[in-house]
Amino acid sequence: MSYYIDLAFTGLVYGCMYAMMAVGLTLVYGLLRILHIAHAAVYAFGAYVAVIVANGTGNIGVGFLAALIAAPLFGMAIYRLLYQPLLEYPPYVAMIASIGLLVFMEDGFRIAFGEQGLTFAHNPYPTRLYDFAGLTVNSVQVAIILCATVCLTLLALFTSRTRIGVGWRATVSDPRIATSFGVDVVKVRYLIFAIGSALAALGGALIGLLNNFVEPTMGFVVSYKALAIIVLGGLGSLRGTLVASLVLGVVESYGTIFIGHFLDRDAIAFLFLIAVLIVRPRGLGGVKAA
Amino acid sequence: MTAHLPRFLPTSLRLSRLVMVAILAVAASPALAQVKIGFQAPLTGFAATDGASAKIAAGMAVDKINAGGGVLGQKVELVTYDDQAKTDEAVFTANKLIGQDGVKFAVSGSYSASGRAAAPIFQQAGVPFISAYGVHPDITRAGNYVFRGVHLGPPQGRAAAKFISDNLHFKRVSIVSMDNDYGQATLEGFKSVLGQFGLQAVGEYSYSLKDRQFGPIVASVKRDNPEVIYITGYFFTGAPLVSQLRSAGIQAPIVGSQAFDAQKLFEIAGTAVEGVYVVDGLNRDRDSAELKEYLAEFQKRAGYSAENVGATVYSAFRLMADAMTRAGSLDPAKVRDALAATKDFPHLAGTLASFNQLREINMPMNVNVVKDGKFQHYAWIDDLKLLAPPTE
Repeated sequence: MSYYIDLAFTGLVYGCMYAMMAVGLTLVYGLLRILHIAHAAVYAFGAYVAVIVANGTGNIGVGFLAALIAAPLFGMAIYRLLYQPLLEYPPYVAMIASIGLLVFMEDGFRIAFGEQGLTFAHNPYPTRLYDFAGLTVNSVQVAIILCATVCLTLLALFTSRTRIGVGWRATVSDPRIATSFGVDVVKVRYLIFAIGSALAALGGALIGLLNNFVEPTMGFVVSYKALAIIVLGGLGSLRGTLVASLVLGVVESYGTIFIGHFLDRDAIAFLFLIAVLIVRPRGLGGVKAA
Repeated sequence: MTAHLPRFLPTSLRLSRLVMVAILAVAASPALAQVKIGFQAPLTGFAATDGASAKIAAGMAVDKINAGGGVLGQKVELVTYDDQAKTDEAVFTANKLIGQDGVKFAVSGSYSASGRAAAPIFQQAGVPFISAYGVHPDITRAGNYVFRGVHLGPPQGRAAAKFISDNLHFKRVSIVSMDNDYGQATLEGFKSVLGQFGLQAVGEYSYSLKDRQFGPIVASVKRDNPEVIYITGYFFTGAPLVSQLRSAGIQAPIVGSQAFDAQKLFEIAGTAVEGVYVVDGLNRDRDSAELKEYLAEFQKRAGYSAENVGATVYSAFRLMADAMTRAGSLDPAKVRDALAATKDFPHLAGTLASFNQLREINMPMNVNVVKDGKFQHYAWIDDLKLLAPPTE
């Protein structure tokens, strides 16, 4: 029994990581209809900033703080320099530019920080263990679940309870009417890139901490996994994305054991995606894919 | 006077430019007598870590050969292309090496998939080709010009089984394998002798090259409660896997495959990898002047410690040059014959006894153990019959 709980817990950790990554992606898609593939570069960027600053200052907390400051700036710069000039073209133009940026960043990390990747010089967290009734978890796994829960709850409260948040939702559903009600659409875009990037960077930094390994290609796998998730969640739906992230995490966790012999973990994600889309063409979110 | 200047100046400029170009051309173009060796390595892409080591080692080998007077009085020139460890790039750069650069000899410092794609092209062109560390069986099946400088996956797996049974005296083993060519070929060898060594597989799991999170596998191994865990993979999968196994409180000894053999293993996993055995790792403690020089020089050039990949690439170049010398000719057919007739060549990983009829190495295998953050020699598996590579 505890074995299956172990698997479920692992799936939950995967799911939380995917959620932190996919939320930004789905927000950008909802707002601009751009598949923001380069979000994966922000994820890796966050991990790199965290590990470099942590090793430089000797303090992992400072590293994370730096990542949380640098990543939103990077995300906003991507919007300003890459997407904004391309907004007048069909969305796939921006998507291609986005893929280009991801590839460029991957090689950029490699050239700047070496092929071998980086590791935290002092990282006691993955081996700091807690025991919950036979379930052994480490502190980074707990941190991933806590961070995802807290951040996404705050995000939900922000969009439903604050004036800016409501303006933001208005912008997503109809930018023209939102503008006529005095919402600054451009500000909302920057805000979304900033928040989405901060979440992705936090996810990347936590995974870097968990594996004690930050590598140039680390964004690549999550990039297409996150794409599968936002499709699964019903494009542009925040709630659907969350559900899809967690469900996919758990499916992958069990799938690795039960069908992992002939299908690798990434293939499981896409098989699941296909299966769900056959039954529910609009994804798990159930809202209209506008 | 001033009227002359404008006309005179451009002419002199043009002239000096011409001279410059001539000087540059002379400096850049190879000296007449040079023997080119083509080299493919994954300098970018997911395998770039190994590609970087391979490239440094190739440069060291060529420098060493040239410092010793070259081959048959000719300097060796290295012609390197990035194959990204991809089949299409391997085919493209192999054709380029042959057609554009006119190389007569080639070495692959790349992974199985690209070596397997490039081998038939070199074979067809009659270019002796050594795959330094590509382990897929099909590579040498491309034909009689294709050699391999490393143990195949299946012998590595068989050696691991023997090691677990005869050296560690364990029976119940959990197997975690990587689902690419290398991982599966090694797994195949391991499983083929389970019965012979009285081993019992209590669990078998596979993961992909891109995985860094092994929670479900770790949970399953924990449930299996094996005496020993056998893992096929690279250091960048092995290090997170080992540290996650240890984090989950699993204390069973771990036996890893050759590609664990990289310094980065310690950086990623820290003390978690203490006591891990690496089958067919590079024996750095061997008493060999060339090995010692190699280890020191590699550290100097790379900024990190030498590992297996670089050592096999270095030895592949040395072997190619040695074969040219033994052939007494740069005729590819004669060099091929000399390669095939290799006897007791001092490979950095040990003494390469000979090539078999499929041009696979007969060579003992070293087992390392991680101790005090270093790879240390633990045992030799020298049953050449057990390690015998396939012959067809």
